[in-house]
Amino acid sequence: MLRVVKARNARSKRALEAREPKEVEDPRTAIFVKCTSTGETLNRAMKELMSLKRPNAISFSKKNTVRPFEDTSSLEFWSTKNDASMFVVGQSTKKRPDGLTFVRMYDGKVLDMCEVGVDKFVSMDEFKTKKSTPGHRPLMHFASELFDTHPRFIQLKSMLLDFFGSEVLEGIHMSGVEHVISVQLAPTPDGLNNASSVGLTDVLKDEDTKNLPKVHIRSYTIGLTTANRAPHVELTPMGPSFDLSLRRTKDADPEMWKQAMKRPKLKKQDVEKGLGKKKKNLEVDEMGDLRGRLHLGKQDLSKLQTRKMKGLKPSANEVGDDDDDDDDDEDEDEENEPQSKRRKA
Amino acid sequence: MDVSGILQEQAEKRNVTSSKQNLEIDVGCLAVTDSNPVDENDYSANLEDYLQSTAREGVQALITSLLSLPKQQTPDGPLSLLPAPTTQLPRQKPLPKPKPPTKWEKFAAAKGIQKTRREKKVWDEEKQDWVDRWGWKGKNKEKEEQWLSEVPANADVDHNPSQVARAERKKLIAKNERQRKGNEARAQANTSEQDKRKNEIEKTLASTRISTASMGKFDKKLEGEKKLRGIKRKFDPTERSVESEKKSALALISKIDGQPKKAKISPEGGTGDALNVRKAVRFASKGKGGVALAQGQTGKRQKGSKRSK
Repeated sequence: MLRVVKARNARSKRALEAREPKEVEDPRTAIFVKCTSTGETLNRAMKELMSLKRPNAISFSKKNTVRPFEDTSSLEFWSTKNDASMFVVGQSTKKRPDGLTFVRMYDGKVLDMCEVGVDKFVSMDEFKTKKSTPGHRPLMHFASELFDTHPRFIQLKSMLLDFFGSEVLEGIHMSGVEHVISVQLAPTPDGLNNASSVGLTDVLKDEDTKNLPKVHIRSYTIGLTTANRAPHVELTPMGPSFDLSLRRTKDADPEMWKQAMKRPKLKKQDVEKGLGKKKKNLEVDEMGDLRGRLHLGKQDLSKLQTRKMKGLKPSANEVGDDDDDDDDDEDEDEENEPQSKRRKA
Repeated sequence: MDVSGILQEQAEKRNVTSSKQNLEIDVGCLAVTDSNPVDENDYSANLEDYLQSTAREGVQALITSLLSLPKQQTPDGPLSLLPAPTTQLPRQKPLPKPKPPTKWEKFAAAKGIQKTRREKKVWDEEKQDWVDRWGWKGKNKEKEEQWLSEVPANADVDHNPSQVARAERKKLIAKNERQRKGNEARAQANTSEQDKRKNEIEKTLASTRISTASMGKFDKKLEGEKKLRGIKRKFDPTERSVESEKKSALALISKIDGQPKKAKISPEGGTGDALNVRKAVRFASKGKGGVALAQGQTGKRQKGSKRSK
């Protein structure tokens, strides 16, 4: 555990306050850690991943002996020390060559981990095209039905979304939309199509990762033209591009996950705007007044009381034909009449 | 030069509409998920082209929905206002805890007193200008700094009016500080039972670990046990005066024997109500206390009964 530091002056107090939990959080800062051995591919891959993540990235230049799946204590220490909540750990061994481990933290503790192997890596330099500006938010594109069904890929999607853009934006300038990161899978093997019926626990075993389809991560710059008033998108490969295969994983502790998914209470003005609990037919007009719209059912005109005339009264025969209930109603009407007359007077 | 072929190709490219269904667009998160199955033939024929065309279709749909968002004019150009994201991502840190209310805040809430903002500037009649209420050349230092001040008739010889004013001001500051400390202590005491127990156990554990002759240096370590910080061995000097030795020994004995000092501020701040009962009784009995109050009531009744006789 780190010492609890007490601010001695205003500057350090501000720095400490910036680290305190916030209702709307900053983007995750990622630390790039090299383990005891990392190959040439992995070094370059991590460097370019970092260039995509900038400025919210910290690089550890020295080698470290960390094994995230065995001991997480150093990760937790670094996380609190650097106020970072994500790690990319690179490790290349004979058993698992070119492995990248994405680690997500919650409250200074490891939330979940996902290890991928880099099968193929193409650097940014190999594409002689325009690059995106560092610090711009990328669009994210995922393509496969497994991102909605398979637990491993749901985790991967959530992890990558968190990595490339966890910050909740209020608005975006369209000129700032420069690049897209596309995550696509190889065709789904037959075994996985009925994964839900087989039972998900079987799929999660380590040996089965060979059956999982490959992950292709590509980055493109977006060129926007308008033809016939309709926007037309052109993509140009920008690099880097990765071909990954899933390896080990560590799921989040359910209790911790529940804590991490807690949302702040919505503010009153947001609720009035219509966020949160859905309130139908309410809107705030330009003057700032809350306006509602009521919908009444269709009026039953057959029961409408029109002018009473002798000629319009049902004849004695018709009255006899009617049900008893109707008679009662008429009685009530007669009783009510004197009251209404009184009111008018 | 025949460019018709190229033109046609371009036109075909343009005509490719995003006919794909099953596109799940999360505009707030700037993400799109395409849940169509992968076309195996295209995939194996030309991987890069296939990936790019799928990505293009997804991005096209996302951009279209981005362009249809409501806009706000800013100095840097139009800003598309994003809705809240539908994909929920885990937080990095727990939600911030609300600050514990101060004694005044509690009282104000019970009485329904609205908070009013106190302006920092006040109007100075003499200077005909707005001056700060406190701080540099503040209004509250007026009496200390004026060149002439009234002296009461019965004042001492060494009466210094500016010093008196300064002392008064400093007293207010001290009072505020005292109240702040009290609020802090009350907030500390109001932590949950579980936290209290945890702190207690941690304290006990720490004291047991250093309670051996070597202060835990040669003890067996448990797995996962953390190193204690800030432990220093401190030896008393071998030669001491009898007086100091006696004093320290007595202090130790009284520490063991006596009851621990009660905390000056009770955890709840009295009964925890906004109404201070003790104060109310003192007020009602005009400073004579609860017993006098009770006696006074019975006394009145007795007088009344006498009168009836």
